[in-house]
Amino acid sequence: MDATLAHIERVLAFVVGIIVFFVAAIALKNDWDSKGIENQVFKGMLALLALGAILAILASVNALAGKGVEL
Amino acid sequence: MAVASVSHGGFAAPVHEEADQLYLETRELRVQGFLLFMVSDLVLFSSFIFAYLYLRSSGQGWPPPGGPKLDLALAALNSGVLFGSGATMHFALENWKHRNFMKFAGWMVTTIVLGILFLSGQIVEYVKIGVGWGTSGIFGAGFFTLTGMHGFHVFAGVIYLTVLLLQATAGKYTFAKYTGLTLGTLYWHFVDVIWVVLFSIFYLL
Repeated sequence: MDATLAHIERVLAFVVGIIVFFVAAIALKNDWDSKGIENQVFKGMLALLALGAILAILASVNALAGKGVEL
Repeated sequence: MAVASVSHGGFAAPVHEEADQLYLETRELRVQGFLLFMVSDLVLFSSFIFAYLYLRSSGQGWPPPGGPKLDLALAALNSGVLFGSGATMHFALENWKHRNFMKFAGWMVTTIVLGILFLSGQIVEYVKIGVGWGTSGIFGAGFFTLTGMHGFHVFAGVIYLTVLLLQATAGKYTFAKYTGLTLGTLYWHFVDVIWVVLFSIFYLL
């Protein structure tokens, strides 16, 4: 049961991670030329959001896993 | 009153220009003030993160023997939920900019629900590993302090976004003047970004 649940969690994390990555990347591309201090912060945060999505994807396929975590 | 009575006589335009100028000036100040708040919050998180990393690197191996095992699959899903809420918040602001209130409200509600889902996932994680400050040593102290502090920020963010949605529904913001919504979006992205770091140090390093 736990293994099935973990499998479902991983699949969902993988799918959501891909969606978020593309949303963040497209938003970043669209906002690239925007001016203003808050837009510069937005761009940095969108880039980090895309990075976070990549990390979630890699974690979901066990490509990245730290010490002391349950795989 | 005097201005209203002569507004067709040429006074209205300067008054509006003055109001717009005042809005632009205070807008910059409000944005800068909010960014300063975010920097101070970043310093707070950084202090705890570096304290945790220092303790971690100065110990005899990591994680400490007998400690709890974190659930990577649940954490990955929970991270996806929070990052997804960052995407929906982005859609909400974009729809406001494109003057579509219904879509804005829909994405705001989705963001709030995803925030609540993330908090629920955190509670499940806490219950599952079953450790607390007093019982789990350095690891538990670091884990609960940082994720708890972040969870509190998410909780505050859920309330913040709910208030923003209610204000927008009540007509406090116009499609031309919506600094509050921009700042709310910045805050929510900030919470997302902090989780990128916490997820990395607790689950991936």
